[in-house]
Amino acid sequence: MKKFKFRKDITAVTIVIFIVCIVLVSVTLMQFRTIEQTDLTEIENMRESELRTALSEWKTKYEEVYAQLLDVNQKIEEYNKTIIDNEAAAELVDEELKESNIQVGKTDVYGEGVIVTLSDGDRSVTSEHLLDLVNELRYAGAEAISINENRVLATTDIIDMADYSYIMVNLQRIEGPYVIKAIGNKEQLSSILNLKGSGFIPKSNTSGINASSKMENKVEIPKYSGEFEIKYMQEVEQ
Amino acid sequence: MILIAIILGCVIGALIGINLPMISYTYSGYLAIAIIAALDSVFGGITSTLKKNFDLKIFVSGFFGNAILAMLLTYLGQKLNVDIYLAAIVVFVGRMFNNLGIIRRYYIEKWSFNKEKKEEKEN
Repeated sequence: MKKFKFRKDITAVTIVIFIVCIVLVSVTLMQFRTIEQTDLTEIENMRESELRTALSEWKTKYEEVYAQLLDVNQKIEEYNKTIIDNEAAAELVDEELKESNIQVGKTDVYGEGVIVTLSDGDRSVTSEHLLDLVNELRYAGAEAISINENRVLATTDIIDMADYSYIMVNLQRIEGPYVIKAIGNKEQLSSILNLKGSGFIPKSNTSGINASSKMENKVEIPKYSGEFEIKYMQEVEQ
Repeated sequence: MILIAIILGCVIGALIGINLPMISYTYSGYLAIAIIAALDSVFGGITSTLKKNFDLKIFVSGFFGNAILAMLLTYLGQKLNVDIYLAAIVVFVGRMFNNLGIIRRYYIEKWSFNKEKKEEKEN
């Protein structure tokens, strides 16, 4: 097919064509493989300038979204703070409520204190004795008092009924022997009650009532069993 | 002999090409332009063979020189931010078509000439 001037040229041409074929085919195949591999996604087909544009677009978008994310995170933090604040406030209110309940007498309580037992001797026990005792206990620093398991509150009534035949506490009839429990500093309570001359127990004993007190490390006083009803009074707004 | 060289060269080239490592996509543009330049040289070589003025030196220098030059120009274009490789492709592919046309024409003429000769002989 190909014709040359000299025979010796043919060898050289053959070798050259052989080398050329090797180079051309191998490089072409390499290129094919490269393109096939990278042709999979459209991104790699894009030119560098296009890629740059896309990149900068994405970067801008990313920055925007990141700013939004920061914003939202901040808001979430604020909300969390508010929630914590609210929780703290709620806890505070809860604590206050608990304390108030304890003070008012809406809860069962226990603590060290004294138990005073009164029973009829030469004379029978009247409400005045109980009032005296309650007053003295309060003076001695009692935090909670009960008479025969009836909690004594600020509103508690202690009255004689039916010509001194029985006593009512918190509108409930009680009968002797009367067990008065008080929570407070037991030493203090006991020493004031047993004070010679003016203490309740020596006074009662001399006036013909059997009275005794004993200190306890754990005195349990039940909660007020009735209900608090406010019908008439209203708070004065300041 | 040359045909055997071409076939053997293609086979060995294919084997080497399959086993060669991948190049990164950034440089595949240079390679593509080099391949186009080489193909142009090959077609140019065939054309010159048909015209009976084939020169081995010109062919070899054109084959490698054009490829390297095209790559360098592409690189320069990338540095200058001008798509010089487009110009190279236009030139090379244009020449390729040109050479292909010459080859086609040569064989068609030869074929029709032979036919005419046959007819004349028969007559």
